[in-house]
Amino acid sequence: MADANAEPAAGSSGSNETASQIEPIRMPTIEEMRAQEVWNNCAVKSVASGVMGGGLGLMMGLFLGALDNPITNDTMTGRQQFVFTAKQMGSRSWSSCKTFAVMGLVFSAAECIIEKARAKHDTTNTAFAGCVTGGSMSARGGPKAACIGCAGFATFSVLIEKFFDRHT
Amino acid sequence: MATPNPIPAGISKEQAFSMAQTEMEYRVELFNKLAQTCFSKCVDKRYKETELNMGDNSCIDRCVSKYWQVNGMVGQLLSAGKPPM
Repeated sequence: MADANAEPAAGSSGSNETASQIEPIRMPTIEEMRAQEVWNNCAVKSVASGVMGGGLGLMMGLFLGALDNPITNDTMTGRQQFVFTAKQMGSRSWSSCKTFAVMGLVFSAAECIIEKARAKHDTTNTAFAGCVTGGSMSARGGPKAACIGCAGFATFSVLIEKFFDRHT
Repeated sequence: MATPNPIPAGISKEQAFSMAQTEMEYRVELFNKLAQTCFSKCVDKRYKETELNMGDNSCIDRCVSKYWQVNGMVGQLLSAGKPPM
């Protein structure tokens, strides 16, 4: 609003110099606006989300790959056992990384596009995006698997959203 | 605003100044009304986040575009003669 300069509270401003001064509202510069516009782009947002999902998948795959198959083979030496376990961890974490990266990318892109089209910020955006992600990831198992994946992932993403929204 | 508009012939300086003042008041009023309308329509009043969401941004874009267009149309209608309303 054009007349938005609020009066600073008089209070004890004279007595306490170390208290933070209340400054008038400053309009953002063009560089600040451009920096904020970068995150307004669906492609940038979904790629960043995919990268974060990939990192998460890497960590999870590393951890779970170590717990996956304890070797009880006596014919391998200790060093060979270690190499075998390391390879298994690596392949497991790479596949998990790819899965999570694709999941994050698709979910973020779907949510961004749906929210831009609806022009509203809601939890139904999250539900639709979760349905699209779950359906596209389980589409190989046929239409029934796609429906189940859609419903399941939509429920999961809505629950996660409500969990993260509790404190705000 | 690169170069200010030259004053048309036949208008004194005071008249031009008062016209500019009226125009400025009109512009300020337009901006205030626009911001108020689009804010009340587009932004959720519960204020859960400090930043504008993507949905809020696109809603505000559409609202401002519609408001501006309607404003232009109404201005044209009003300036083309008084239509019976």
